[in-house]
Parts: sequence; C-alpha cells; structure tokens
Amino acid sequence: MTGELAAAVHAEALKLRRSRVPWATAGAVLLAGAVGAFFMFVLQDVDRARSLGLLGTKAQLTGGTADWPGYFALTAQTVSVGGLVIFGTAAIWLFGREFSDRTATDLLALPTSRTAVVLAKLLLLLGWCSVLTVLLVLLALVLGAALGLPGWSGGAALRGAGGVLGTGLLTAGLAVPYGLAASVGRGYLPAVAVLFLTVLVAQVLAAVGHGAWFPWAVPALLAGTAGPASADTGWTGPAGVVLVALGSAAATALWWERADHSA
Amino acid sequence: MTAPALRLQGVSKHYGTVCAVDRVCLEVAPGELYALLGLNGAGKTTVMRMVLGMVRPAAGSVTVLGRGRGDRSVWAEVGYLVEAASAYPELTVRENLEVARRLRRLRSPTAVEDVVELLGLREHADRRARVLSQGNLQRLALARAVLHRPSLLVLDEPVNGLDPAGVVEVRTLLERLAREHGTAVLLSSHILGEVARVATRIGVLHRGGLLDEFATADLPDRVRRRLELTTRDDARAVRVLAAAGYTARRGPRAVVLEEDRATDRPDAVAAVLVHGGVPPTGLAVVREDLEAHFLRLVGAQAPGPREGSDDR
Repeated sequence: MTGELAAAVHAEALKLRRSRVPWATAGAVLLAGAVGAFFMFVLQDVDRARSLGLLGTKAQLTGGTADWPGYFALTAQTVSVGGLVIFGTAAIWLFGREFSDRTATDLLALPTSRTAVVLAKLLLLLGWCSVLTVLLVLLALVLGAALGLPGWSGGAALRGAGGVLGTGLLTAGLAVPYGLAASVGRGYLPAVAVLFLTVLVAQVLAAVGHGAWFPWAVPALLAGTAGPASADTGWTGPAGVVLVALGSAAATALWWERADHSA
Repeated sequence: MTAPALRLQGVSKHYGTVCAVDRVCLEVAPGELYALLGLNGAGKTTVMRMVLGMVRPAAGSVTVLGRGRGDRSVWAEVGYLVEAASAYPELTVRENLEVARRLRRLRSPTAVEDVVELLGLREHADRRARVLSQGNLQRLALARAVLHRPSLLVLDEPVNGLDPAGVVEVRTLLERLAREHGTAVLLSSHILGEVARVATRIGVLHRGGLLDEFATADLPDRVRRRLELTTRDDARAVRVLAAAGYTARRGPRAVVLEEDRATDRPDAVAAVLVHGGVPPTGLAVVREDLEAHFLRLVGAQAPGPREGSDDR
C-alpha cells in the first residue's frame, strides 16, 4: 500500500500543481488575511478610520481589540469560517474534477488501488490546507508587525499561532465530506450545495446556542466567534470534527471501491 | 489449449427494471481481436465496465487473464479506453501520460516517450490536453491504454474522432499488438467497415443479450446473397424467369433473385433470359456487408442499399 500511496500522491500532486487551485486558494487566503489586518487598522483608531472614509458614519465595531491576541483570535475566526469555504472548494475540486473532466474512469482499473487514490487526494487536501493556514499565520505576523500592534510576547504569539493552526486543521477535516459529496454527486454542483448547506446550518445553530453539537460550527466556536462563553465545547466538539473527517474519508474510499461506476 | 484472456459466463446486469446485460457468455483468446457490435443501449459499454470491474454483475462471473474479480493485480496487465476519450486539460500530453505511468507503477523511464512515438504524438507532446483536437485526444487516450503493453485491451469506440489515416494507424497498432505481443483485444465500434477489417471475431449484442457470434473469416458464408439483374424489359424478364421456375421480383433498381440456385449459377439465369428474348444488360451477385448483416440480425432498418458486390 505504501508504494501505491506514494505513486498516487505523486500523480495527484502533479495534477494539483498544474491547476489553478493552489493560486486561487492562496489568493483567497491572502485576501482574508488582508481583511483581518484592515479590521485591526480600523480598531486601532476608529476616528482615524472614519476620517479616512474607511468606516461609515453609522458603523459600530464591537468584540475586537487591536492587539496581538485580538489579531490572532480574528485570524482563527477567519480560518474557521472563510477557511471552510476555501478548503471545501479545494476538496470539491480534487474529487469533482474527475467527473467533470470525465477522468474518473481512468482511475478505476489500475494497479494503484482506488483507496490509495482517495487517500492521496485527502493527504494533499490536508497538506495544502496546512500550507494555507501557515501562510495566513505568516501574513498575520507581517501585517501585525507593520501595524505596530501592542501585546506582543513569545508566549502569546505561540498560543495565537497554535490556535490558528489548530483551527485550520479542524476546518480542513471538515472539508473531507465535500470530497465525498463531489464523488457521490459525480461533480461539483451537489458538493457546492452541501458546502452552502453546512455553512448555513452552522451559522444558525451557533446563533441559537447549539453549535457545539454540529461539527461544522465547532472550529468557529473554539475560535471565539460566538464569544468566550461558547468557546468551550468540551471534548465532544473536537471529537465530533475528527469523527466526521475520519468517517467521511472511510466512506469516500468505500464509495470509490464499491459503487457501480456506470457513468 | 490456451486459456482465454477474458471469459464472461452468464453475466447479467440490471438497472432497476431495465435489463442492461442479459446472461452474456463470451471468451476472447490471447492474440484475438473480438469486436462487440450493437445499437446504442445494447449493453456494450456495460459489458466492458463489468470486464474492468467498474460495474458489479448481478449474476455470472468475469475472469480476466485467469483471475476473478477481487484480484486487483490483474489491472497491471489490462489497458482500456471506455466511452469518451478524456484527459486532464491543464496537463500536457506528456504529463497526462506521466500521471498514467505513475499510477500504473511502471519503472521504465522510456515508457512515456516510447508510447508518444508509437501513437504519433511527438509534435503534440508538450501541448496541454485542453487544446488538442478530438483526434489527438483520442490518440492520447489510446496511448494511455497501451502505455504498459497490456495483455488485454478493452477499447470502446477506439477510432472515434480519428481521421482516415489515424483509423489505419490504430488498426495497424492493434493488429501488431495482437500478433507480436499476443494482446487480446475486446473492442466496440460503430464503424462496421472498420470492425470487419480489424476484428477476428464478432459478437452481436442486442437488448443486452449476445444475439450472434462468428469469426470474421466466416462472414462471407453467413451473409445473404442475391442476384441482381437489369434488362431492357424487367417485367418480361420476371415472367420469363418464373416460367423457368425461378422466384424473381422487381426491386427498385433491378430484378432480384435470392434463391441459391440463382446466386450459385448466374450464368444459367443469363442463359434463360437470352433464350427468353430479354438478354441481361447487367448481372451481379450482391453480398450483404457486415452493416447490412448486423442490421438484419437486430431487426433494424438499413438506411439504404450499401452492400458490396462481387462475381460481377
């Protein structure tokens, strides 16, 4: 299996490298990072922002502090919500493109097993999502330093960066089911529908205080999107996310191995 | 006796209430080129997908190179092209083949270059697949199928989109693989003239069942023949022939006789007409071609007279 997996990872990496997905997702992450820095800039001096025309006269900004812990918290929240869409898009592309390009058939009767191909795609997804999260952390460090945010300390930076990376990993795990949806739905559209549905339901459940029971809401809650009171989901929150990720990975491999590939 | 490269025994497949494939049995020997013919929806692609383990048969068994379903090692010796030719559009021809080489776990560093040469893709090797013509995309898909010099090739419409020169190249390639490497080929095509040229055996699928199976070499003995003749007075010719005991009818272009004694001895028919005062101005024994034979077997309407003729 190791040799098969290595072969599949090599092949999938070549496909990913030659696609627009790395550029598009990296661009989206950089944009999200820049938006976070913009909020910090506004929070630093609201009157300055208003006088520069960056803030409407009626705008009220609440729930954020213009310092390093606040910036890291905002970055983690960005990963938990924006990351879900960006990572989900990557997952949908990795699997859905095989159907829209009609190349899925070419993966079905090979000495490299279908399970190895699925695992390779998921490993690349996890790897690329990690790279994107690290990119966002690096961008935050650069932009935070450029803004001269107060509250820097080695410990705070480690805690903050660790929080963002942890949120990124949990969010990447939640993107795995979109690969399953793109496989079973044999294309992009059904998976995009599932992505929108999960984001919507996560927002609603988080708003009514039941987010801890819905894995797609957990990273955002842990990142403090709904306030410090909701940030403690207990062990069930992260466990649910891990369960969804592993369960979806197994279901995706099983589907590729066992389903009738008649189209 | 050589073991078959492919054996299907009573293979069936149902989609809901629709029976896509019904108890099909067939064998393809090493070095044999077996063509599956059938109308759209006859079950050809489903049969091929079952051979390749993509679709699970509802009944029956599929044995590929002596191994049953579940032995994945067999795919290292099988090449295939099922339905439309496809490729990763953002990858070049060479990169598409490199992906296939990696997934097929081929160690030969020259495998990609060899097959690029073999399929005449040299000048397109560094072009992205998205800009390839349909014909070159088909060549790429075929290149991927034969990259590893398989023992069994499963090809659905292998000459789709190819120009006449490409059709001849593919035919030559398949014949060479079969002859030199003992590759067994299971193919389907709608170009029946091409099938008649390349296949050594033909199976006719109709409504999921294997309606007929025959060696291509036996085709001349299986097809219908008829004697077509023209005279200056066809109505009188029919009467003269009837008086001599022949069953003749006036067709749209000629007087037609379908009985063996007429097609076996056209000279005797000509003699009857000469003696009857209506000498033939044209006389030909017309043989059904594969297309006409196939359409007659499946009960479909031929689009028009396209038979070949001989013994003229």
